[in-house]
Amino acid sequence: MRRRAGETAINALREEEAAGEPDYIPGSAEDFERLYRCSYRRILVTLIGMLGDPAAAEDCTQEAFVRAFRAWDRWKPGAPAEAWLHRIAINVGVSHWRRQRLREAGELVKRLGRPAAPASPATIAENTELGRALRKIPAKQAAALVLRHYHGYTNREIGEALGVPERTVASRLAAAKARLRVELADWVE
Amino acid sequence: MSDFDREIESELSRILGPVDRASIPAWRAPASGGAMRRLFGGAGAALGAKLLTGFAVAALAAAGAGVASEVAVTGSLNPNDWGQQVVQQVNTCKDTLRASGVRGIGQCVSAFAKQHGKLVSDEHRASNSRDNGNHGKNNNKGSNNGQAGEHGKPSNLPHQP
Repeated sequence: MRRRAGETAINALREEEAAGEPDYIPGSAEDFERLYRCSYRRILVTLIGMLGDPAAAEDCTQEAFVRAFRAWDRWKPGAPAEAWLHRIAINVGVSHWRRQRLREAGELVKRLGRPAAPASPATIAENTELGRALRKIPAKQAAALVLRHYHGYTNREIGEALGVPERTVASRLAAAKARLRVELADWVE
Repeated sequence: MSDFDREIESELSRILGPVDRASIPAWRAPASGGAMRRLFGGAGAALGAKLLTGFAVAALAAAGAGVASEVAVTGSLNPNDWGQQVVQQVNTCKDTLRASGVRGIGQCVSAFAKQHGKLVSDEHRASNSRDNGNHGKNNNKGSNNGQAGEHGKPSNLPHQP
């Protein structure tokens, strides 16, 4: 289920729970599978927005769920499970982004020699102006942007999910937008 | 919310919306086992097997070298000849040591005995396997010491023919 712009993710999750969605039990394999089905796409979208590379985003999503599964018995039911997952996924994404930057030159050479892939929603996301611009900004800024402007988290919710102060989220968003304004100057006009 | 923010939201919805409706791959819980599994599984297991193979080959080569050097020292595969050879070997060694200012023949006897003891041990081991038909299970444990002098820990003393 995709959210309308402006609707907060956490409120929506609370609505789902109020509508009869049972709570998750830490350590329960069945509950984790349910959480996986409910949140896989949203985590994937966040990572595509962060990394701009759909294949890498899928790998990072899987890695994030594997890490989450290993820590599932330590999850505290008081915290929204999807926000907890986002925190793990963004850490995985940031690690990948740093490694990716280190081998950027090698990646460029590979891309030049790669045959054209058939168009898919993911490659469309990768090949738009905004998709390309998101790849040029730091991963944490891109993550904040997607969480705020796609998933509809508030700054406070993003801060709670990522374990950073609200003002840090605000400064990341401001920096991301300033950079995007430069990168998308032609597109905005 | 500024126009720019709205533009970003609209564009994010447009480009990420199709991804949000993509199919979800089946979840398969990772196998448990943690650090030990990582250590003994996959590349760790392959590396361990290589190391074990390396040690086995090195041990085999060392054993072969021991037998070869014994044959080289005594010039014979027959253990009965080695006792006769030891006097000559020790005398030669003693002369060499004296020339370099070292007194005593302990080192010379020890060097020869070490080689010889190893071969005798191998002989006992082979003998046990043949006589007992237990395929060597009983060797090197010291539990059969004293049985007709054929078993037990090999002596470091020179062989008495």
